[in-house]
Amino acid sequence: MLNRPPFLVLAALAVLAGCKKSENTGSPAAGQTPGAQAQVLHLGNGTEPQDLDPQIVTGVPENKIVNALFEGLVAYGPNGQGTVPAAAARWTISPDGLVYTFYLQPEGRWSNGDPVTAQHFVRSYQRLLTPSLAAEYANKLFPVVGAEEFYRGQLSDFSQTGFKAIDPSTLQITLKRRTSFLLESMKHYAWFPVHIPTVEKFGGLDRKGTAWTRVGNLVGNGPFILKEWSMQQRLVADKSPTYWDRAAVKLNQIVFYPTENIETEERMFRTGQLHKTNEMPLDKTDVYRREQPESLRIDPLLGIYFYRINTTRPPLNDKRVRKALALAINREQLVEKVTRQSQIPAYSACPPMEAFTSPARLSGDLDEARRLLAEAGYPGGKGLRKIDLLYNTSQNHKKIAEAIQQMWRVNLGVEVGLMNQEWKVYLDSQDTLNYDLCRAGWIADYVDPNTFFDLWRTGDGNNDTGFANPEYDRMLEQALNAPTQADRMAIYAKMDALLMDEVPIIPIYFYTRTYAMNPKVNYPVNLVETPNWKFIYLKE
Amino acid sequence: MSTLVAPSAPVPPAPAAALERGNSLWHDAWLRLRKNRLAVFGAVTLIVVSLACFLGPFFSPYGYEDQNLDLGASAPSAQHWLGTDTLGRDLLVRLLYGGRVSLGVGLAATVVALTIGVVYGAVAGYFGGKLDAAMMRIVDIMYSLPFTIFVILLMVFFGRNIILLFVAIGAVEWLTMARIVRGQVMSVKRMEFIEAARSLGFGKRRLIFRHILPNVLGPIIVYTTLTIPGVMLLEAFLSFLGLGVQPPMSSWGVLIKDGAEKMEEFHWLLIFPGTVFSLTLFSLNFLGDGLRDALDVRSSKD
Repeated sequence: MLNRPPFLVLAALAVLAGCKKSENTGSPAAGQTPGAQAQVLHLGNGTEPQDLDPQIVTGVPENKIVNALFEGLVAYGPNGQGTVPAAAARWTISPDGLVYTFYLQPEGRWSNGDPVTAQHFVRSYQRLLTPSLAAEYANKLFPVVGAEEFYRGQLSDFSQTGFKAIDPSTLQITLKRRTSFLLESMKHYAWFPVHIPTVEKFGGLDRKGTAWTRVGNLVGNGPFILKEWSMQQRLVADKSPTYWDRAAVKLNQIVFYPTENIETEERMFRTGQLHKTNEMPLDKTDVYRREQPESLRIDPLLGIYFYRINTTRPPLNDKRVRKALALAINREQLVEKVTRQSQIPAYSACPPMEAFTSPARLSGDLDEARRLLAEAGYPGGKGLRKIDLLYNTSQNHKKIAEAIQQMWRVNLGVEVGLMNQEWKVYLDSQDTLNYDLCRAGWIADYVDPNTFFDLWRTGDGNNDTGFANPEYDRMLEQALNAPTQADRMAIYAKMDALLMDEVPIIPIYFYTRTYAMNPKVNYPVNLVETPNWKFIYLKE
Repeated sequence: MSTLVAPSAPVPPAPAAALERGNSLWHDAWLRLRKNRLAVFGAVTLIVVSLACFLGPFFSPYGYEDQNLDLGASAPSAQHWLGTDTLGRDLLVRLLYGGRVSLGVGLAATVVALTIGVVYGAVAGYFGGKLDAAMMRIVDIMYSLPFTIFVILLMVFFGRNIILLFVAIGAVEWLTMARIVRGQVMSVKRMEFIEAARSLGFGKRRLIFRHILPNVLGPIIVYTTLTIPGVMLLEAFLSFLGLGVQPPMSSWGVLIKDGAEKMEEFHWLLIFPGTVFSLTLFSLNFLGDGLRDALDVRSSKD
């Protein structure tokens, strides 16, 4: 940006007025949303994607795009639930539940015309587990024989692992132990294949952020292909002409807009530039409830809004301080007065789901919080250094953070500074433990409590708190080996109790996803926000 | 600058200065300023706003950070004269605290810009030649430094600090001022009255500061009055990026930005900060206009 004051003044004015336009150069969306005939879906997607490599990305915005460009073995069904064939046409499971055999779609094609083969899957999994790639989601594959050993470098021959290409169209996966949620977890993009020759061509298999995901380079097997990626403006995906089930794909094009400013996003929706927003400004929810309830959607979402604590930095390495902070938040008030989107106050690390409702509860009142803080040597917050709370730039996060900041000041006398960062910088700060407290959200990768407890395993790619507890890791292992579902859930309950005692995170609320959507869009509710794009379309 | 009249007809202040010990310029200016009603209105408004911002919060029962979540956003009432924002914080007190930041940043950064810019521009313009070329290239280089990156760099080295905001803004705002002053000085230094002063044997310092600068005050003042609002907006812009004031502290820029986002639902959150901000900017411009008329010996009519 230039330094000339008139220019800056103008830029500042634009920001002030909140009318920062997204520059849809040549966008058909300028003006009115096109009708159902065009089948072009415009949607707000939160932030600019970090990357499009399904083995690298970790965020929800990326998840939506990656699901359009790639396809796993199985996927969610037309109503956002259940399991339907995707890259695999059918599969068999051995009676002991250990061997999964997938028969690939005979018509399965990459976007460059190559057939999708079992070998591609095996090599993709090999790439994901390569230690030098350091993929954060490598652990998704750990139920498979040899996967963890290969990832840890204890096994160097990948053919010794449980991934086998029996023939070009048959993939066999052998598990260490019976894993009841395997198919469920396979809908996550960690299990998606990548086109190995393409990845190799642009910088190599074990490198992140290479040019293979750029327009023109990217080769995927999903129902859509990447057509345009204009940084901070939009990302366009066109219907793929090579996708095996192309007849079932109803949309011709999906346009993803990075909408970090949710106020702008809401305005874009109102002027017809978007069919669906990613979020809803907290202050607008009531307006929509009153004036156009048909456009307001509040979906259940399997996720938790929480603050990560950097447990490696004093004074937060003292669990009494952490617990005091966690206890001094009035979650009911926050949910009822500040967020107002039917969220559930969270007192545990795992949201309730059909199979499991955690009995663990963060317990203690304000007196208890003050007592803990005093015990740790900071009575009334005295002597405590100023702690920073990091959040990614968004009005909603800011508002929640301001409310909590004040609760801590009034209830504990603890001074917390607020700090916002752009998404990529924020992710980097978390990964490198360069923060004190950090706003975070975790949307389940699949519908099973394991997705929430796996996170806090020592050294997990998404742990990001420095939390390391051998007892916890042992229980996590125990749970996977549990003979029955009930036993497994009992262990999770114990793990949750341990988390609420150690408090590496401060749970705040369990998510609902509130957004505005044009009633013409058929968009099935999915508990983990993983869309199966071929079932999404514009109604006549 | 359109305020300059033909350079052939300067009215030198020097003869009068020689007889009346040189304070007549300011004395005359004061007399002329007093007659300008708009300028007086501007000055009075500024004083009132500044006093309110610096003293007002002492009389308020609320702090800028005190929330009342149960109350939430409420329209102006007897308890909260200007209403409350969505977290139930009193808008009046936030407006006053915000004024401290905004006026403070505006004033401090402008003084920095004025001091550096005027001296630098005058020296470059007066001496000309290689010194001028070298000095102006330095300005060009600093111009080409992207402002946001500059601020981020400063933050990396010095951490997050409100003082930094003043320094950063002041450090870039003087560039334009230096250019303007240099151009004006170059045109004035060739006039006959400067020749006359030089022939009387006055030193360079006296020539620059007593003879040339008073004759270029007009553009300087106009530009200064434009700088203050510019700086206030800049502060809002930086706060938006997360580089300026941090919540829960407020500034006018922050309040207006928040208000603009919520104006359909809670209009008072935009109306009051917007009004006070505009009023201040208008006052600054009126005062600047009046000052220019009063001080610029060549463009004034009497």
